[in-house]
Amino acid sequence: MTKFRGAAAVVGIGQTPYYKRGTSPEPELKLALRAITAAADDAGIDVRDINGFISYASERSDPAKLMPALGTREVTFASLVWFHGGGLPATLNIATCAILAGQADVVAIYRSMAERSSQRLRVMVAQNDTSSQYLVNGLDSPAQILALRAQRIIQHHGVPQSALYAAVAASYYHAKKNPNAYGRSIEMSPEIYENARLISEPYRLFDCSRENDAAACVLVVSAERAKHLKQKPAYILSAPMGTMEGGGALEENWRPYYATAGQVELAQRLWNESGYGPKDVDVAQIYMNMDSMGIGAMIDHGFFTMEEAGEFCRFENLIAPQGRLPINTSGGDLGEGFIHGMGLLPEAVRQIRGTSTNQVPEAKLSLITGGPGDLMSSTALLGAAEAL
Amino acid sequence: MEYIFEQHKISGAIEADDQFWRALEEGVFKLPRCSACKTWTWPAHFRCGRCGSWQFEWVALEPQGTIFTWTRTHYAFDRVLERKQQLPYVTVVAEIPQAGGARVMGVLKGEDRDLHTGMPVRGTIDPPSAQSKWYPSIRWEVVR
Repeated sequence: MTKFRGAAAVVGIGQTPYYKRGTSPEPELKLALRAITAAADDAGIDVRDINGFISYASERSDPAKLMPALGTREVTFASLVWFHGGGLPATLNIATCAILAGQADVVAIYRSMAERSSQRLRVMVAQNDTSSQYLVNGLDSPAQILALRAQRIIQHHGVPQSALYAAVAASYYHAKKNPNAYGRSIEMSPEIYENARLISEPYRLFDCSRENDAAACVLVVSAERAKHLKQKPAYILSAPMGTMEGGGALEENWRPYYATAGQVELAQRLWNESGYGPKDVDVAQIYMNMDSMGIGAMIDHGFFTMEEAGEFCRFENLIAPQGRLPINTSGGDLGEGFIHGMGLLPEAVRQIRGTSTNQVPEAKLSLITGGPGDLMSSTALLGAAEAL
Repeated sequence: MEYIFEQHKISGAIEADDQFWRALEEGVFKLPRCSACKTWTWPAHFRCGRCGSWQFEWVALEPQGTIFTWTRTHYAFDRVLERKQQLPYVTVVAEIPQAGGARVMGVLKGEDRDLHTGMPVRGTIDPPSAQSKWYPSIRWEVVR
């Protein structure tokens, strides 16, 4: 048993509404303030007591800008996780480490996005770090680069397009029951999916997440402190980050495996540290900037093999409450809205609390996978007290 | 020699591939190999992670390989708007067996029906143009 396992817990969640990108009535920084104050209220913690601030990727609402408005007494720890959406679950890792090492007591993990305050997410995320090898050859967007991975998983590994559709259908099915989901009124059927416009083959419109304006925050404290707060704690059992040998900034030269999510080794560490395996997981929030990448994440985590993907990824298997592995129960990145994946964290916590609008009965183990195929990624398992 | 691409340098990423572009602009397809342990290193880097050497030799190769993967782009994305008039276009990631399986990207030329991973491709070199951001570029064509 590592020191890390169960040392900290998520005790507060806060989210703004999701807006169509570029239409938020409030700037990015104000959205961040709203999410953080909402999370503090939810936890019953004085917002001035937050002394740790963690985000990831291209976040611009830094703690220095936030603290005057939060009334922060002192920032004792602040960190930004590399790289893009791959850093999402790793924020829980950094928060736990900071708390374990005595560097912070109350840590806010947050992400805020409003296009008018910055620019298109798909441009922001690149951080001017896209190599000439891509740009010279007409490749710019994550949609195109991940389409290359999708083509490989479909044509070379034989994963059927129906598996991708099932993930889309499950996401929008869940979104329909989530009054806060941006995509709650979108109808989905095989015809709608197949007739949507092509973006970058094999991806059509609904294979891709949209970009939204919104912010979300979760608050992390020590397991000891969590016991005395008002919400049911979601304990952080494991949240490994990293990249395997043969991965990294390799411009489509990833080895030994390419078409999934680069999370095989991460998942192995997750299961080792948590003491659980894929069969134990009750519910999963699978990062799906693009659907096939999420299928790859589930393969990397051992939920099924390439060969089993078509059989496993059927609509009825992926939905709450009774599916084999209910995924993206808030609607996820595809159906709820996309703020660089940050919506997945609060939903994973709601599942442990029992307050999701697509609740899996008595969920004890709740998985969040990070940006798949990212240069560096991460994954995390949250557990109820009974799972400690 | 004055290279056109150097006047239009794209910054970001590892940026150890100047020799690749210079060779293409001279009309030659070259990939880097560690001078000491002969490991192909692609994308190009500054140090061989296997043996620690800082020396690389750029080896001229026949541009031949197979389709590792590909995508056909239908949408004019922000930073590649120069290709808007060419939509849809296909970008191929070709695997080069003579270079230890290095995978090299290029825009497809010629017939683009029924594309599939594993198809053999042959490369030709296009001079710098607006579409390729004033870089020379390798163009893959399916050998049918």
